[in-house]
This record gives sequence, structure tokens and C-alpha cells, in this order.
Amino acid sequence: MSQWWIRPSIRVCSALFLPLLVPGIITFFIWALPGDPASNICPPERCDTALLAKEFNLDQGSWVFFTDWLAEAFHGDFGRSWRVMQGVEIQELLRKSFPNTMFLLLFSLIPITIGALIGAFEIVRSKWDPILVMVGIVPVVVFALISAAVVEINYAGSDLENQANWARIVMGALTLGFADAAFSGSLIGFRDTLKQEKNQRYVGVSILRGETVLSNTLPNVCNALIGQYRSRILHILSGLVIVEVIVGINGVGALLWKGTLSQDFGLVLATATIFAVLSGILLIIQAILECLVAMHIRKAPTDVRLAESV
Amino acid sequence: MSIKKAIGTFAALGVCATAVAVNVQFYDENLPGSLNPLYAESMVDFRAQELYFDRIFYVDPINNKLDSKIVRRFEMAGAKKIRLFLNEGLKWHNGEDLTANDICFTIKAIMDPQTTSARAKAFRKSFTDCEVEKDTVAVIEFPEVYHKPIARLSFAVLPKSSFKSTAILPNTEFSTRPVGSGPMSGAKSSSYAVFKAHRQSSHHNPKIDKMRLNQAQDPVVQINTLKGGGMQGIISVAPPYRPELASSSEVFITTYDLRSWWFIALNESNPILAKKEVRQALNYLIDRNDLREKTIGVKKGDKESPCELISGPFVQSSPYYNRSIPVVERRYEAKATALLNRAGLEKRGRAWYYNGEQVRLRIGMKETLNKEAPDLLDQIGNQLGEAGFDRLVYKISAEEWSREVISGKSSSKYDLVIGKWSFNIDENVNNLFQTRKKDKGTRNIFNYSNPEVDAILERFNAARRDSDAQNAYLDLHAKLSDELPYLFLWKLDTKSAWRTELRSSIITPYYYFTMIDTWKYSKK
Amino acid sequence: MSRRISFFLAIFCFASLFWASYKAPKFLTLGSVISEYKYVQPFDSEKQDECLSSGDDSSSSSMGFGSSTKKSSAKDPEFCSSMYWMGTDRKGIPLVDYATQGAKVILFPSLIAGIVTCIFGIMGGLLRCVQLPFLDSMIQIFAEIVGALPRMVVILVCALVLPRDMRGLLPLALLWAILSAPTAMDEAGAVTSRLGGARFVEALRAHGFGAFRIYLYHIVALNLRPVVVRQGAEVMMQVVFLEVALSYLAVVESQPSFTHADNINSWAELLKMGYSAVVVDEPSLHALIIGLGLIAFVVVKATSITNMARAR
Repeated sequence: MSQWWIRPSIRVCSALFLPLLVPGIITFFIWALPGDPASNICPPERCDTALLAKEFNLDQGSWVFFTDWLAEAFHGDFGRSWRVMQGVEIQELLRKSFPNTMFLLLFSLIPITIGALIGAFEIVRSKWDPILVMVGIVPVVVFALISAAVVEINYAGSDLENQANWARIVMGALTLGFADAAFSGSLIGFRDTLKQEKNQRYVGVSILRGETVLSNTLPNVCNALIGQYRSRILHILSGLVIVEVIVGINGVGALLWKGTLSQDFGLVLATATIFAVLSGILLIIQAILECLVAMHIRKAPTDVRLAESV
Repeated sequence: MSIKKAIGTFAALGVCATAVAVNVQFYDENLPGSLNPLYAESMVDFRAQELYFDRIFYVDPINNKLDSKIVRRFEMAGAKKIRLFLNEGLKWHNGEDLTANDICFTIKAIMDPQTTSARAKAFRKSFTDCEVEKDTVAVIEFPEVYHKPIARLSFAVLPKSSFKSTAILPNTEFSTRPVGSGPMSGAKSSSYAVFKAHRQSSHHNPKIDKMRLNQAQDPVVQINTLKGGGMQGIISVAPPYRPELASSSEVFITTYDLRSWWFIALNESNPILAKKEVRQALNYLIDRNDLREKTIGVKKGDKESPCELISGPFVQSSPYYNRSIPVVERRYEAKATALLNRAGLEKRGRAWYYNGEQVRLRIGMKETLNKEAPDLLDQIGNQLGEAGFDRLVYKISAEEWSREVISGKSSSKYDLVIGKWSFNIDENVNNLFQTRKKDKGTRNIFNYSNPEVDAILERFNAARRDSDAQNAYLDLHAKLSDELPYLFLWKLDTKSAWRTELRSSIITPYYYFTMIDTWKYSKK
Repeated sequence: MSRRISFFLAIFCFASLFWASYKAPKFLTLGSVISEYKYVQPFDSEKQDECLSSGDDSSSSSMGFGSSTKKSSAKDPEFCSSMYWMGTDRKGIPLVDYATQGAKVILFPSLIAGIVTCIFGIMGGLLRCVQLPFLDSMIQIFAEIVGALPRMVVILVCALVLPRDMRGLLPLALLWAILSAPTAMDEAGAVTSRLGGARFVEALRAHGFGAFRIYLYHIVALNLRPVVVRQGAEVMMQVVFLEVALSYLAVVESQPSFTHADNINSWAELLKMGYSAVVVDEPSLHALIIGLGLIAFVVVKATSITNMARAR
């Protein structure tokens, strides 16, 4: 990309576009599937689908449904569940499940952040890589099974349900933080990226000039590191569904799964959009950080310019 | 707490955290689909709704008489009218008074054609009007003189305040969080259903504070969890696991009287299955003895077998069961081959062909039945496979079962469907075999239609004497065993298992929890 | 691990999977009268003797025991040994059936997904060698949008809208490959950028090389190979894990799986069975070991392929 601002701009556009695209696609499919949309809620043989269509705002076509849903979702009203929790406000379901998902996500960032720091400061040498890779290669489903067992060994049958819930979140976070190469990938990725940059010729020159390594390499690798970090978080968001269902956490991912199994389009529409919004937020954060880095780079020191003129 | 016991509970949880300790937890086949009594589809729905709601009249399982928790007394107000006097101090779970307005609202909701529930349709023709005379007095008018009018009032009462109009839709919040007047209040979540004692009203005083219904897991896990004390009950224990529980001193096994029989419905819109000879041949190709041995664990010559083969749509103890029709116990290959040849099928090598193509059967089975008869789907598939039919097998989720299969919308998906029907004392099978139109044939899986069968079913409907009804159904049995829209398999005893901490647990036929007020639970 | 060993290991893994898929029964062999609803441990000679001396005379693994009522004749020795070398589940179904059916479920979809990812990677690498800034921007936008969503969410939405007849691992695997494409293209693009991109091509042209040799040999075969093959191998492995995860989630909810027909069983069944050994003391630890072993097998396969194709 010739212009530094193109990439962040694309990210921002994508971030704004995603929360529209996801419900748009799902709405399209609600109408594209055979039969009228209300018959997905209850077949005409059993229900008055005209009444149902009116009740669920499905009677005025896909565009009205989509725009109305978006407008209401913007105000926090995600409609009602079609099947999983018939007629219950999804907003209410999300109010209970969203905090669990956020805690799970935030706690799972701890291992990958630690991994990134260990990698950046080269605390763990590359001779340990095979072990790290071996641990990281375990799929999330296997780690999740272990976590579920550990939680239940300690808490099943006890009255400490609140504690058990926290234990599930912590174990789930550890699962997400270590499975599918989250921790090891973060560690090795950060370390290798920085190491590669340190080997560049300009770093040697800058050291000779008495400058620090980090102040020279960091601006150049910052974008790559931010990208890596975001992709790790995305990966965690992806694994959330599996972990929440297996470990038994009442989160947004578990709702999405139940919605998918029951073909509850109302629930899937809301939960998938929540994930799209989270992804959008990540994109915007990345774009902002990239802009800051670009501006920092472009604020070149005066002495360099002098050197150039010489 | 031992590790085994602790972990055993895991499967029961399957499951998210709740903030309250629950006294009694039990497994049911599935989670209830709808908690709105008008939209009950499965036995799980009926059982759960029995806890949340009061039926105006119910059959007392001890003396077999009609009784009521909400009606103090009743009198005839003319030949076609009945006046109900309600108890004082009746309360809904939300604290509001249960009055005659609610009784009349429920009847008007049933009569409203926009209430599309099959159950409402079944009751609709029984009423013409309902008037509120006082808060505690309602007068119900019937279209004709009934021998026992209160027997027509066996539906649950709905709270008027929870609905905007008498047109009651299925997929509303009420189906998830009902307001009832039954012994227990509560709601279902996506993983379980909870029940809390409703003691605000004078008409209920349950001894158990809280209960929780969990979806059945792997039978092995259920058994171990029950034995370990992580759960207190299992509504339906699969036959192969009963001896293991029977040997435990901490668990008792009890009979749940449910007139349920198993079947394979045949799709006659498939041109091959439209031929009677093919259906009859399939009947001869199913080795029922082998099936029940492999899936239920019943061996030949077993005494007190939980599984009783049937030849028609009634259990053998039913007065409607036609004993002159023999059951087909084992495979009769020669007879089947002759029938298939007569139907125009041709055997090449090991496979049957029709019009130059190998015959393929798409077999579906309701997934939850797999817990009672493990691998039945595959076993039947194997038997038909060995007989020379190509087959595809499908598991049908409870959701799909109630949404598509019962609604008669699965004709394009399956050729054979394995299922189970359960009945109360009233073994009315009309909806299963009558031609589907308007309020008739509402559970006709493959939209079977036969004018002769319809005529017999009309005879049953029109019967005014028990003997006429019985004769009609005896004829129906004979006709269906010849026509074979279903291959009739067996009646399977239903047994529940509960921990001995539960006492006075009277299990009502069909509805199960009618006498929950008497149940006691004391933790050891 | 040397490249030669990796090569043979990869071939062995593929051959094993192909063989297992080929041998996979269409339907499980059911209802062993020997097991009496008890697990049979692997290499249980007592049970094998019992098998050889009694039971049905059916030796066809596709028809199984449900096919006959005769119980006097002994079974085929080959059949008996195949039944128990992995042990059975509590219904007497040999676990080898689960293993082979699971292999059949994952083999082709994962392979196709891997190949598709490789193709995307190659495209990404080659596009950096041609000076097309507009196309580059378009790909960037595509990558941003496709890569921005959590993959599992997209997979579930796809599973939701797929008609029942189209359900299977293949469409989901292809979707997974498309979702993985941005990463593969980006990485391959980075490789060709490091080479010099269009300047590298110009330089080779100056040496008189033809387009075929430049693009397919010098760029793809010599430089992109390690990256795209690794990406493809990783996607192959991820598709297997995806299948196991989705099937496991469906199994615990007693629902039909999105990834395979109902007459087929996934490796997730083995994990679920094995999990009972941990939680309720079922004698099914062998199922867990086999399940984990198969997952390890897939990891070894992916690692071998990656090693096999790495740069000299």
C-alpha cells in the first residue's frame, strides 16, 4: 500500500460494515429458505402463521424486518427468541450471558499477553519451542474436556454454584489461552518477529549511534504485532463457542450454538451480530493503533533529516 | 464427597450454574418443548405442565374418580349447562386471584379459531359458551347433553391477565415462563426447567421446596448419577439398565403406567411403499424378537418381559386390542419374497430392484427413543439391509419431530419413521390414521388416507355405547394390520427410578406429577 | 526430523487414512451377543475365543450381527480379531468401526480444504509478483472482511442455513478453507515480497526464463512451497478438529451432527465414550486413548507434511 492511511481506512470501513453484513446475510437466508419465514417458527399445520408473522415482524418483507431489527438492536432490543426460549426477549438472555463471555474473553487474554511479553523479552529460548508447540497443538475440544472434568471434580454436587461458575470461567479461559497454539503462538510469534527485526542492518547502525534497539525496532514491527494480537483474540472468540458449551458456561457462544441447533433464527441473528460487533471493535482498535504508529514514524527526528542533507 | 460422586453429577448438569440449591433433581427424556398447556406435544410437556398448572378436573389415581383442586362443587344448570363453584383464596403464581373469569377465558381461548393448538381443537366442539356469574361461579354451556360433563373439563386453566386476547399463540414468552396455579411455579431455561413450591394459595401445599428437570444424558451417566446421589430420579429407565438399579438399596424402581406403543410408520407417497404387498413384506422382514433382544435386552422366554409385541395400534391390555390378529414375531423371508415379487420387485443378487433401480429406504427415528432402545434405528436398518434394501438412516430431533413429522411435512424426507405414541386411559387413535383435513388427522405422520379406515374412525366417534366404540376399534385393528400404514412393534413398560429419600411418591398414570403435593423428600 | 522421514511418515499417515476410509463399514456392526452390554477391552483374548466359538455366522462388517439369528457356528477369525484389537463399546460395537468411520468422515473434506487453502496461498503469492495495486487493494478488503469474523461463528451460521441434504463436513470444510485464505495469501504474499515481487520476476525474465518456469518453478515450487504446504496442512488438521468439536457438541446435546450422516460416527463418539471413563468410572478408558491417539495421528500427519515440504 503506497499510502499509510489506506489500510487503517479499510479496517474502519470493514468494522462499520460487519455489524450490518452479518444480520443482512442471516435475514437474507430467513427469506431465502423454503416456506414463509413464520413457518420456520411454527408450521402452518400447527399455527396461524399470519398471526405469528405479525407478532415477529415478519409480515412486511425482508427489508422492513432488517431495518426495523437494526434500528431496535441499536437501542439494545434484539427481538425475541423463536424457539430456544420461545418468546423471551433476547436482550434479557444476553444480559445474563454477555458478562460471562466477556470475563472468559478477558481472562483468556492473560495467557496470550504473558506469552507475548515472554516472547518480546526473549525470556524463553527457542530450544523450548518443540515443547511449546506440542502443548499448543492440543485442540480446544480436548482442553475443554479436561477443564470440564476439573471443574466438576471440585464443584459438582456442592452448593457453591457461584464459585463453580467462576471456576468454569477461569478454566475456560485457560483452555482458550493455551489450546490451539494460543499461548505458544503468541510467544513464538512475538519473539520471532522482534528477533527478525533486530537482525536488520539499520538496528546495528542505530546501536552504533548510541540509540536503543527497542526504540528503533518497535515502530517498525508494531503493526505486525498488533495484527498478530488481534488474530489471536479472533481465534479465542472462535473457540468460545466450543468452550462455553463443553465447560458449561452460560455465554453468548453457548446461546449461538443452541440457536443453531434449534434453527432459532432470532437468537442466531442477535448472537452472531454481537460477535460481529466485537470483531468490529477489534478492527477499529487496530486501525487506531496503526494510525498512531504511522504518525509516530512520520514524526522523524531532526538530526536524521540533517544527516540526510549531508 | 467422593470424586466419583462429584463427577457423576456433571452429566446431570450438562448445564450451567444456578444460584440456588435444589432439593430434587430428576432426568426426563428431554426438555419440555412448550409450557403452554394448549401447545403440549410430548409426554415431557404434559408432565412438566402438570406441575405448573391445575386442570379443572383430574382423575385421582387412588380412587380413579374425577376430582378437582379448584372447584369446590358443581351442579347442573339445565341439561346442557354446568355451574362450577370455585374454592375461595385461589391464587396464581404471580399472586393474582384465580377467578371464574379465568375459567371462562380459558374456555373462550379454546373456542377461538385463532388459537391454533391441536389440543384446543380437540376440546373446541365440547363448548358453546361460558358465563361468569360471580368471581367464584362460572357457568359452562355444552352443545349437547353429555353423560359425564365434568370429564370434558380436564384441561388446564390459563390466567386471563397473561394474554392480550383469546387468540393464543404458541411461541410467546408464556410457553417458557408460564404463570399457572399448579403446585409448582417456575420456568424453563435453555438447559433445564425449575419448579418452586407454590404455597401462596389455599389449594396446594407441596412438601418439596424446589425441583429441577434436566435433560436425559447417556443412560450410563444417568444411572451412576442417580446411584451417587447427584440426582434424585429418572422418569424413564431403559430396560437394560433396570437390573443394575434394582440391586441398589438407595434407589427404588416404580411403574409409570403409560400406554405407549412403538411403531414404524410407512410413507405411502413413496410409489413402492404405496403397494400393499411391499408393506406386508416389510412386516414379515422385521424380526421383532431379534430387535427387542438386541436393543432392549429381552431374551426369548424371559418371564415378566417389559416388552410385549403388538399387532395393532393398542397395547395388549387394552379393550380395543383385537386378539384374533397374531403378532409377527420373527422374520418370514419366503413370505416376504413372494409378496415383493408379486408387487413387481425383482431380486438381483442380494438386492431388491424396482423399475431397474435398487430400492432405497430412508429411515428416520426420533432421537430420544435411542435412550430407551439403544441402536433400534441401526438394527432395523441392518435387518432391512440384509433383506436387500439399500437404506439411509436419520436421527430426528425432538424439535423436528414436533414441527415436521407430526405435522405431516416429512413425506419428502423419510420413507419409514420409527416412533412411539403414548396414551392416557382414553386410547383415541383417530388423529393418527384419519385423513388429514381441518381438525382431523392432526398426528397423521405420512398423511395416510383410506376411506374405509375413515369410516371406521367415524363409527368410533359416533359411538354412544362403550361396546360400539370397542367394536369399531377392534375392526380398526384388523383393518390396519392388513393395510399396514404402520408396522406395529411393541409396547414397552415404562419404569421410573427414584432415590429412597423420596417418600409418598404416588405416580399418576400419564400425567405423573398430579399428586406432587403428597411427595416428601428428606435428605439423609 | 529429517525430510525423508517426514515424507515417509506423511505417506504412511495418508495411506492409513485412505485404508481406514476404504474399510469403514457403511453401518456399524451391531448388537454383539457376546458383550452383553459390557465394554470389551482391547486385545481381550478371552472374548476373542468366545467370538470364535459362538455367536452369529455373519462376518460381513457392513451387515454385522443384526443379520441372523443363528448362534451356533463360530465366526471368522479375521472378523473376531478385527473386532477386539481396539476393544468394543458397551454395546459390543468394535471401536475399530468408529475409528474407520471417523476417518471416512474427515479424509476427503480435510484434504480438499487443504488443497483449496494451498491454491489461495499460491494465488496470494503470485499476485504480489504482478504489479496490480487495485487488485491488491481488493484482496486486502476481502481479507479484512473475511478474516475479521470469528470462524466458528461463520461456520455455525452456514450450518444453520444449509439444507439438510447438503449437510456434511465438505461445505463446512470449504468455508473454513475460504476463511483461512486471507492468512495463507498474506503469508505467501510476504514471501514473494521478500523475494522482490515484480522485480524478482523481471530479473528472471532478464535471464531468459519463460513465464511457466518463473512462476511455477522458481516462485511456487522453490519459494512458496514451504509456506503454502504448511498452511494447507494446518487447515487439514483444523478441519479435523472442527469436525470433532462440532460432532462432540451435537453428541452431548443428543442432536444429529452437522458434519456427517446419521449412520456414520465421528471420532467425537470415542472422546465422549472415553470421557465417561473419567466421570463415571465406566471401563471405557480405551476409547479415550484411541480418540486421543487419533487426534495425535492427525497432528503427526500435519507436522510431517509441513516438515516434508520445508525449505532446504
